[in-house]
Amino acid sequence: MKIEVQALSARVHRTPLLEDMTFRIEPGELFGLIGPNGSGKSTLMRCLAGLSRPSAGRVLADGADLKRMPARRRARRIAFVEQQADTTDRLTVRNAVELGRTPYLSPLRGWSEIDDAAVSDALKAVEMTAFATRLWHTLSGGERQRVHIARALAQAPELLLLDEPTNHLDIRHQLSLLDLVGRLPITRVIALHDLNQATACDRIGVLRGGRLFATGAPSEVLNETLLAEVFGVAATRHAAPDGAPRLHFSHAL
Amino acid sequence: MTVVAAPLRTAPRRGLLLAPVVLALTILAGTAIGETRLPFITVLQTLANQLWEAGYPVDRIDAGIIWSYRLPRAIVAACCGAGLALTGVVLQALLRNPLADPYLMGLSAGASTGAVLVTVAGVGGGAVSMSLGALGGALLAFGCVVVLAHAVSGGAGGGRATQAAAAIILAGIAGSQMFNALTAFVIARSANAEQARGIMFWLMGNLSGVRWEDVASCSLVSIAGVGLCIWHRRGLDAFSFGADGAASLGINVPALRGSLITATAIMVGVLVSKVGAIGFVGLVVPHAMRFLVGARHDRLVPASALAGAVFLVAADVISRVIVPGQVLPIGVVTALVGAPAFALILVRGARR
Repeated sequence: MKIEVQALSARVHRTPLLEDMTFRIEPGELFGLIGPNGSGKSTLMRCLAGLSRPSAGRVLADGADLKRMPARRRARRIAFVEQQADTTDRLTVRNAVELGRTPYLSPLRGWSEIDDAAVSDALKAVEMTAFATRLWHTLSGGERQRVHIARALAQAPELLLLDEPTNHLDIRHQLSLLDLVGRLPITRVIALHDLNQATACDRIGVLRGGRLFATGAPSEVLNETLLAEVFGVAATRHAAPDGAPRLHFSHAL
Repeated sequence: MTVVAAPLRTAPRRGLLLAPVVLALTILAGTAIGETRLPFITVLQTLANQLWEAGYPVDRIDAGIIWSYRLPRAIVAACCGAGLALTGVVLQALLRNPLADPYLMGLSAGASTGAVLVTVAGVGGGAVSMSLGALGGALLAFGCVVVLAHAVSGGAGGGRATQAAAAIILAGIAGSQMFNALTAFVIARSANAEQARGIMFWLMGNLSGVRWEDVASCSLVSIAGVGLCIWHRRGLDAFSFGADGAASLGINVPALRGSLITATAIMVGVLVSKVGAIGFVGLVVPHAMRFLVGARHDRLVPASALAGAVFLVAADVISRVIVPGQVLPIGVVTALVGAPAFALILVRGARR
């Protein structure tokens, strides 16, 4: 799915959170969003998901204005994994993933084999098939995040939005989750805190104070000057043993 | 893998067949048991006489007790139990708060104030019935709570929907305190001792005035309520991970929340106007049923409605027979069962 963000502004309680943002995301791309705390990453994610209405400008999904798209149709094309979504309900893993089929069901159109297949495939994609009957509250943080992604995949979306999905995960779960996301054959937008993880994206957008500071390939964008200016850190870039660029952070400026 | 999901969809069917049988047996039991012990066969014969003019010889006083007094009472109790349990299901699902129920939302308090204003303070000059007053009060209280919650969470453009849900609970507490105070004020100011006693009785829930005229409206709202909740079962499920989660699953959150909570307010208004403010049914029954049938609303809605109906008919029977020669307010019975259950929910919630 091609995403065009045109002159997007958003505000909450009259405080501007996003100002005049314009960029595009190409079909099939893995697009990373980085920026310091409060730079507007989550707000931008919510606008892309259609959950927050922009105060000005618009988001076009394959040319269609997201604001005018009915919620059901939107949910069949765009899936959103929130930063922290928890439940106190006694749901099994499979129940939670089944929720992803909601936009395809109606009061009169019941559950079908297609829905069952979509749920099973989604569980398989995140390697949680063996956990299908486990109750939600017995899962670890990493397992929950995988279930959320399975739920999103069950929506069969063309665009997957992930808001800091690696938060609170141990390093192994972080890497396996990023690997999973990297292999998905759809358009993905992922907000990240770890700048070294962002280097795996096709392109990244850097936010600062609600504005888009830079976009481009990670190798072009993530340089010492930008890191000093946007994040306020002294960093050096060098090659890891495998040849990939790695950032080393020395101190806060 | 399909095996895992299969029971989810086959089990409710067996339950759905069983539900009317259980409900009918409950209502029959509620009709047969009372201070005057009437044999089960007499109850059946009376019903047969009334419904099909079967012509069984039944004592006229017994027939009167059964047909005009106990049967409508049992039916209304069942309707109220089902309706109140459903309002709990809906509010707990939409607000993501395990303690949400019509009491907490100020709906019952508003209904009481409306009823008291009409009966004691004489608002409406006799043109307005107590039921209408209670309905108006429930809707007004609901409106106040929504406006207050809106102000607390900072307006429409405001933050996250989860904050709005927390705000509505706090606003509900504030609203119910205010409306309870208003009720007390009206009683203290305008009611004579006799009226005050009657009102206090009504405030704790009272089914003794129920006749056939009340059956229609009560059964209508509770059946409509069950239908509406089953229709929106997937929408209610989608709230499992909060309002934002529901929105990203394609649920029109403001529309669904608005329509279901308004329906809840109407349901509570109608039921409370007939039988008074009965607490704890909306809180305890949905939790018990979640434990038994799980959190999915295709099963939770019918199970809660049925269990609520059975619970309230049973509570009514207990309230009539536990103290010989005296009828307890039914709210006393539901509270005596409900308050410990409420404590249990709190403790379990804290451990999680």
